[in-house]
Amino acid sequence: MKTWQMIKLGLILAIYTTVGCVGLAFVYNSTSKTIAARQAADLQSALRDVFPSATRFTPTDKVVSSSSAVVFQSAYMAEGSSGPLGIAVQVQGSSYGGATVLLVGVSTDGTITGVKVIENKDTPGLGANAANPSYYVDRATKTTFPGQFTGKKVTDPFIVKEDVIPITSATITSRAITNLVRIVGKAASDALGIGTTAQGPKAVLPEADAVRASAKAVSSSAPGVTILETSIGTKAGAIIGAAATAKAKGYDGEITVLVGVSTDGTITGVQVLECTDSLGGSILAPTFAQQFTGKKAGMSLEVGTNVDAVSGATFSSKGATALVKATADALFKALSGGGL
Amino acid sequence: MKRLFTIFLNGLIVENPLFIIMIGLCSALAVTTTVANGIGMGVALTFVLVMSEVIIALFRKLIPNSIRMPIFLVVIASFTTIMDLEMKAYFPALSKSMGVFIPLVVVNCIVMGRVEAYASKQPVLNALFDGLGMGIGYTWVLIALSVVRELLGNGTLLGIQVMPSSFSPMIFFILPPGGFLVFSFWMALSNQLRKKILAGRKPEPTEDSCCTLPDIGSAEKA
Repeated sequence: MKTWQMIKLGLILAIYTTVGCVGLAFVYNSTSKTIAARQAADLQSALRDVFPSATRFTPTDKVVSSSSAVVFQSAYMAEGSSGPLGIAVQVQGSSYGGATVLLVGVSTDGTITGVKVIENKDTPGLGANAANPSYYVDRATKTTFPGQFTGKKVTDPFIVKEDVIPITSATITSRAITNLVRIVGKAASDALGIGTTAQGPKAVLPEADAVRASAKAVSSSAPGVTILETSIGTKAGAIIGAAATAKAKGYDGEITVLVGVSTDGTITGVQVLECTDSLGGSILAPTFAQQFTGKKAGMSLEVGTNVDAVSGATFSSKGATALVKATADALFKALSGGGL
Repeated sequence: MKRLFTIFLNGLIVENPLFIIMIGLCSALAVTTTVANGIGMGVALTFVLVMSEVIIALFRKLIPNSIRMPIFLVVIASFTTIMDLEMKAYFPALSKSMGVFIPLVVVNCIVMGRVEAYASKQPVLNALFDGLGMGIGYTWVLIALSVVRELLGNGTLLGIQVMPSSFSPMIFFILPPGGFLVFSFWMALSNQLRKKILAGRKPEPTEDSCCTLPDIGSAEKA
């Protein structure tokens, strides 16, 4: 009796769910085409917004995301009447309230041509202002939050509260969007063949008049630190310092730095070349790397005591500091031991 | 006819779902940062509420008591999804700004509460008018909340700048604490109005004893 009752109830529930599903299937069928058409039209109009003079958009797979947390959903090569204009990337990353989708346009000269917020699920009235066309970060010039990226160079630091004006009370949204724009800018400029970091070891060895690659490899004793390339700086034929690029794990990505050390162990220059941490992009700012100049190899470098962390990226700052120290120590050891 | 009208009016003030029954507050406070969202959410919830109440009142004798909850959920979820899809297709801008709150109508306590307490025991016409009354009662509160919050918190109404440019928006009203504060002021006003309405009315026994609260004091328990 009980079993029979249970089967009966199950069947009744099944009937209700079936009717519900059939009803939904009908509604889905009648609306899915309209929804798809609307989304395609949205994308087209957004593409046209970032590249107004383009005549044709062709899908491309040349752009690759440098971070696993950031997904490039689609990328388009914008072509005008006189050749390629740039690349537009539809990118998805996480923000305060879930996934955020942007369309970012990068022109062939390394300028951001426009940023459109396609999808944003952040708090209405706060983070959602990123997509609000009448929310201005600068009321005087009527600049919206995504609007302020237009015209910026991909080599700019992209740091919220420095060269990017945040949305009031929505710092996390502002950082997430800025980070996505920066990553797309870098990936697109790499794909377009306009390198963003082409200065090389000479930049961190200002005293040297010639820089050559080292014949011997330098390795660091610190765990997790990989030294990629070593070069020697000379002045009038004598070795005055060495530089190396090194890589280590950051918070959830990888950090690459370029460190220059003189023969007396003074750090002559540091550049943070790459940081794929999800919120660590702000340590790419030159102001962070400049702190190391003049410090000695062998001395302790610690965030909070003699190195200032970049706010919002403490873990990445700590990681980069340890990496700089390990690299400088290894270089100094090699220099003083004559191992180069 | 007069009886149906009373059922409808009940939802507006005397048994207002937000101020008196005090259910469904979470989404109400969350979406009311702009007037457009308030109206959108109100209309969306009214649609789901009326359709679910009518369907469940119609089939109330065919729903076994022991599995009534899952069946209610199936009905509510179906109508919510239908509305979500229709909104995406025909009102994309609104659907975008409402975001996650539309799918969340499924678990809105007002829909579940009214379906369980009212529609599953009443004839179709009563349920229809109850749904309309409760829906509009919910909608007016959302609009009242969002007007104050958008005006003071952002200086705009329906996205149009109304405050003079010298007015600096008080972001507090957009944030949750401001929502609670505005909500309590409106609730005080509404309860004052409710007292007057009840004083002018003869005490009469209503059919659904579960949701008719005798006086304001008992609202705190709900």
